[in-house]
Amino acid sequence: MVAVITSNNRAKYREQLNQMHRDRKKVFVDRWKWSVPVVDGQYEIDQFDTDDAVYLLGLDRLTHTHLSSVRLLPTTRPYLLGSLFDELCEEAPPESDDTWEITRYCEAPEWPKPSARAAGDKISIALVEFALLHGISRYVCVTHAAMLSQVLAEGWECEPLGLPKEINGESLMAIAMKVSTATLQLLRQRYGERYPVIELEARAEAA
Amino acid sequence: MSLFWDVQDFVREVNRVTTFQELSELMSSMSKMLGFDYFALVHHVELVAPEVIDIENYPSGWREMIIERKYTSDDPILVACEHTNVGFRWSDIHRWISLSKRQKEILDGARTAGIGEGFTVPVHIPGEYAGSCSFSLRLNRRFDDSTMPAAQFVGCFGFEAARRVLHAQRLEAGKETPALPRLTPRQLDCVVLAAAGKSDWDAAQLLGISDQTVHQHIEDAKRRYGVATRLQLVVRALFDGQLTFRDIVH
Repeated sequence: MVAVITSNNRAKYREQLNQMHRDRKKVFVDRWKWSVPVVDGQYEIDQFDTDDAVYLLGLDRLTHTHLSSVRLLPTTRPYLLGSLFDELCEEAPPESDDTWEITRYCEAPEWPKPSARAAGDKISIALVEFALLHGISRYVCVTHAAMLSQVLAEGWECEPLGLPKEINGESLMAIAMKVSTATLQLLRQRYGERYPVIELEARAEAA
Repeated sequence: MSLFWDVQDFVREVNRVTTFQELSELMSSMSKMLGFDYFALVHHVELVAPEVIDIENYPSGWREMIIERKYTSDDPILVACEHTNVGFRWSDIHRWISLSKRQKEILDGARTAGIGEGFTVPVHIPGEYAGSCSFSLRLNRRFDDSTMPAAQFVGCFGFEAARRVLHAQRLEAGKETPALPRLTPRQLDCVVLAAAGKSDWDAAQLLGISDQTVHQHIEDAKRRYGVATRLQLVVRALFDGQLTFRDIVH
């Protein structure tokens, strides 16, 4: 299952969010050697981990521990591509209610890969479900050039926002990924999911 | 003027192609726009194999030579694709491989056919044949580095269009994408650990389950594939792309 975590329900998922920040440190700092801030020597937390951020967390069914996650940011607030990588955009970086940014896709490094990857597949579906629920028509992201083929092969309809550039020795690019009900059908079919993967908290309306 | 707008137009058009013929024409004109003479959009398997991506506009004779002499598995450019996941210039492959006698023969053959410097974008998609998109120049034409970023995009989107056309053709021919036995994530966890030489007991400790459960997962996985031994199971899972070598060596 995939939990949607916003500033409203953050307290309930404090432990899972801490795990996510620890795993992000292991993946992005220790393994990929990104120069991003580390808090208390063990948490990767940057200036975009604010109340504006929404996290999709893939959790283990039994233990509810962190298996996979992404961070989503509205482009109407400060976001990574718009603030730090705007040189990757040919025109001004997007800024609109129906466009959100995906960053920090992470699979828990200490879990066996197939489990973490299966949870990653659910994150892909959750991204589309979240978008359709919130009226988001496209995501944007900064990605390594090597990832583009895999994003395309997963079924996302992509559009480049600018040409790839060499930044800190890595070939990076900015892309937009369009979201529609067709994307949802395609991904559900690909991963054999018949039902929504995001956990919907029932909204009890006063009678 | 930036090539970006040309790339964007290309992306829109390539998303609409429905046949290999249309794709070939579009790739041909786009590679000319980027300053190249030739392109090749290929799966890295013997080109006579059925249902593979194989579109190119090389000078006549070169493709026939590749097939006749079975160059594909030794082609140093394709071998270099296993060492990198972003586009590279052909003259840079020495970073990763030292050429065998046969590989030198292949490069000489390409030159004799009139093909000079090139740029190749590798495409690695889990569970599928390795593939690539190459752009190249007539012999002695100078390579313009500034086209590499645009070629990177064109290669990726071109290859994806080829995958889409191939898939549609299969559906039309009434063939589903071959139904491989799928293992559950937990079964795969156990297979990964078995492949890494762990005993059921070790795997049980790592996964936090009992060793009987590990044993059961492995047996179930063997049944799904219809194989008798753990080794066969690992080989099949690797071949199908459910496991990658990275799962095992990491």
